[in-house]
Amino acid sequence: MREKIIIALAIFAAGLLAWNMNTVFTGLPDELNQGAIYRIIYFHVPANILGMLGFGLGMFLSIGYLVTKDLRYDALAASVTEVALVYASIGLATGSIWARIIWGVWWAWDVRLTSWLVCWLIFGGYLMLRRAVDEPNQRARFAAVVSVLGSVNAYISYKSIEWWNTQHPQPVLSIRNGGGMAAGMESPIYWNLLALACFSVILVMVRMRQESFAREIDTLRRMAHAQ
Amino acid sequence: MLLGLGAAWLIMFIYVILITLRERKLRKELDRVRRMVEHPNK
Repeated sequence: MREKIIIALAIFAAGLLAWNMNTVFTGLPDELNQGAIYRIIYFHVPANILGMLGFGLGMFLSIGYLVTKDLRYDALAASVTEVALVYASIGLATGSIWARIIWGVWWAWDVRLTSWLVCWLIFGGYLMLRRAVDEPNQRARFAAVVSVLGSVNAYISYKSIEWWNTQHPQPVLSIRNGGGMAAGMESPIYWNLLALACFSVILVMVRMRQESFAREIDTLRRMAHAQ
Repeated sequence: MLLGLGAAWLIMFIYVILITLRERKLRKELDRVRRMVEHPNK
């Protein structure tokens, strides 16, 4: 059943992405000031939204573990956070390439970029911490604390373009009261968001299966040592 | 622009390769540990 869901989601997401990319590359004109490079936004924004949502979801799942001590919450939190970190990496890389063309530099130490980089480092540390601690409950407890701290930072990063004057552009999406895009240019962002969200569900499902393999290996090893 | 899109897909592609390799490693390890539990004297 899980395999069928993964295949169906992959076909749907790939079809949606292909259709939407065709719209973005052939149906939309270049942006007046930025030219063709503005199209990076169709990956940059959805990837960062999914990164932030993933870190936030990981935090709630981590809190779920701290409250219930159920390791399934921890396994799901680890899976979601790892996939969110991949999307955050895509957001950082695409943003840096856009900045090189528009600003003339690969990186600027403004609040948005710096806080998001710190967030990326915190969750990179989260994954390293999980590899360093063997005892499952101790690992889950430490990881949950890091996840909560990292998610607070993710929220600060999200709000930073409203709270401070940053070199990073102010909100452009109308759902964030931005309204900085011409009609027809905004909707492909949401379609890409949907397609990438489907890919992220697939990746989380695969990671969850791996977590269950790892738990089974751990259980069998304990049985082998007890024999 | 193509560099940006290429970077996005490259990161995704590398991650998919990494989790595929991890899955293969986990399956092998699971088989090995199962055999170890079923036949402890081997």
